[in-house]
Amino acid sequence: MNQENNYHISFFKPTTERAKANRKMVLWLISIWAVAVFGFHFLLRAIETPTPEPELVTFNQVWDNVKAGNASNDEIMKFAQSALHVTGKIFIDAESRAALNNGISWAVMHLADSAQKIAVKQAVIEFEVIFNSAELTDVNYISAKKNLTGIAQNIIGVKPNHVLANILPFELHAAGFDVFTAENKVLVEACMPKYMIHNRSVLTDTKFLGFPFHYFYSAVFLLILFIGLCLAYCIQTDRYNKKIGLVE
Amino acid sequence: MKKFILPLIALALPTVLSAASGIPSLDESSFQLGPAIILITILCVFVMVGVIFRAKDTTDFYAAGRSISRTGSGMAIASNWMSAASFLGMAALMYGSGYHGLAYVVGWTGGYVLLLILMAGQIRKYGKYTAADFIGDRYYSQSLRATGAVIAILISISYCVGQFAGIGLMFQWILGLEFVWSVIIGGTVVLSYTLISGMLGVTKNMQIQYVIIIISFIIPLFILTYKFDYFWILPQIGYGSVVSDITNGIAQTDISSLVNSLGHNYAITASPEYSMPWDAATGKTFFQWMAIAFSLMIGTAGLPHVIQRFYVVPKTSDARWSVVWGLFFICILYWSAPVYSAFGKILSANPEVGKLSKDAIVVYTAQLGNVHPLIVGLLAAGGVSAAFSTVSGLLVAGASAFSHDLYVKVINPEASPKKQLMMARVGTVLMAIIVTAIALLKLGLIAQLVAVAFSLAGCTIFPLFLLGIWWSGSNRQGAIASLITGGFVSLVAITYFVAGVKGFDLPGKEFVSEWLGAWFFAWIGAPLAILANIIVSKLTPETPEEIRKFLIEKVHS
Repeated sequence: MNQENNYHISFFKPTTERAKANRKMVLWLISIWAVAVFGFHFLLRAIETPTPEPELVTFNQVWDNVKAGNASNDEIMKFAQSALHVTGKIFIDAESRAALNNGISWAVMHLADSAQKIAVKQAVIEFEVIFNSAELTDVNYISAKKNLTGIAQNIIGVKPNHVLANILPFELHAAGFDVFTAENKVLVEACMPKYMIHNRSVLTDTKFLGFPFHYFYSAVFLLILFIGLCLAYCIQTDRYNKKIGLVE
Repeated sequence: MKKFILPLIALALPTVLSAASGIPSLDESSFQLGPAIILITILCVFVMVGVIFRAKDTTDFYAAGRSISRTGSGMAIASNWMSAASFLGMAALMYGSGYHGLAYVVGWTGGYVLLLILMAGQIRKYGKYTAADFIGDRYYSQSLRATGAVIAILISISYCVGQFAGIGLMFQWILGLEFVWSVIIGGTVVLSYTLISGMLGVTKNMQIQYVIIIISFIIPLFILTYKFDYFWILPQIGYGSVVSDITNGIAQTDISSLVNSLGHNYAITASPEYSMPWDAATGKTFFQWMAIAFSLMIGTAGLPHVIQRFYVVPKTSDARWSVVWGLFFICILYWSAPVYSAFGKILSANPEVGKLSKDAIVVYTAQLGNVHPLIVGLLAAGGVSAAFSTVSGLLVAGASAFSHDLYVKVINPEASPKKQLMMARVGTVLMAIIVTAIALLKLGLIAQLVAVAFSLAGCTIFPLFLLGIWWSGSNRQGAIASLITGGFVSLVAITYFVAGVKGFDLPGKEFVSEWLGAWFFAWIGAPLAILANIIVSKLTPETPEEIRKFLIEKVHS
């Protein structure tokens, strides 16, 4: 057959039974591979819905008034809490953080009564100084942090043991107390949806072995599948070679 | 002599354990005694093994005497593969970009399916030592052989740069040295034993390295999952709840008794951006996820130092089975890497932890999780070991391309075996010097630097192997067209990348950055190169009969 064919070989035009069997197997395996990897992610993309976090919904309810400068204390408190929530996130760029810090600092000062204003200013200045110079285990540092947290969390309504209380002292800066700048308002408005809208679907919200399903699928299952495909190919090839008596 | 290795290691271990009492610090500038002793001991073992199993001739140097078993070769493939990019870089990517990092996990494993079903057995049957050897013979061209050799060297260099950066980072962390000195010292050590041992020693080393890498990587995971009250029997599954906890947040009142090594509560604000796909917060897109996964997959099937491993097994079926074993061994690490990034996110959530170097997050996570200093030291030594195992394989592949494909086949065909071996060693030294110089520039994250090598391989070597094996119609002219096309796309992408890092503004940089990023340009480069090969091959004289005959009778028989 080879000489009749002038020794031409093509994957898509197999000329022997073995080549045909191999082509069939390869096409099957590649199809499974492609659908499992790329098909799944196209599906994930197709059914996803941009879903806001509850804090963004709250933020949107109060933002217009905060931006216009006619928000009530309750609205400012809600704004500060939602902004603080974003600063606790694991991916946040420096520019957005700085704008949010301005908003939070301004909100704390705006909500504080006259006695609290003095106390907050003093606590922030003290903490800013000691934060840059002291060790984390320094008693004075720990005391300054605790003092600032205690004052500020009461003002913006963060419960003492809430995870946001851990973040609060690091997001307050004296430079942002007086004015929430127009420039930073623009940045805050842009960054809140960026950090608080996520692509979710039934595949991301379903739990499997503790994982979000899509995460389990990519991080665990696909790797098992790849090994399975390789194993299937080797076993099938060895079987076929044995069947036709081929010694490689 | 070989019988003395294990007893020697057994004797050395108690000394190491008793001497290593330093408490690892998050500070990169302090010397860490325990990890340093463990690292030095491991490096001594590598060099000893290299000396004992040293290459006696060129066959030993290039292909380990074709005497490695299926599981041994699988272990060597895994060790060769599990580089600093896998050990340190993958967790870093997921730590820095969440679900986007899984594109690398999927890409770097899924490529083995392609490699196996499309190439492994056929490459072994072709019976050549190097990728350039295959290209030169299959496309009956000395200039293509030389071009293939140069590309193999470029890929090896590109891949090595990330490894040297990883070595530098770990040496910096352990020895408290400057990054520059860390890279130079680490590079010198890995170069020494590669020169002494050649591939036979390297292959034996790789098997030992695999065991060290995997043990050092997995032990801290059991400790972390146990300590923080997750399903610890199988941490690779148990961390699913960690991912969900990051997504939904952990209120500190729930677990007030759990703290990191700095005393911070085990708590985090709800952060769905960590697990949700192509989240805007990460700055990564759906297209990038797909393009990276695809590019890494085809790059895997085109990497010279991976392809070269199939030459070291005795039979074709061994080449196939070594891929299965290799992939299994690799997956053990790849199932584990995301665990570090997930724990790392929670343990470093408190602002007081500060900004950590992403590429060292594996080590920092273990430290923040209060894992015993000796185990953290072993983990860091495992990271160095991972980089070493890959670098040694890459240096051999690059040196092979230099001496065998360029010097012997093109420049001096009459060279004696002794001269060939000398040239291989000269090539190794030259490569190490170039790689060190580039690594010192700190061009990007480890895994990203390595991904550049994959795209380069995907655009150049992969199309030549794929068509060269499966279509006799692919001829010399087609191969040249393929290389020009793939090379052009690579050149554009890499030029824009380097220009961007160095702060130069080139026209259309937004477009190139979006569609031809340095980590994923093969998504378009490879298909274009394949297309160019097919079109030009169809328009030019067909492949000589002896090549076609060889393909049918030897490769596909």
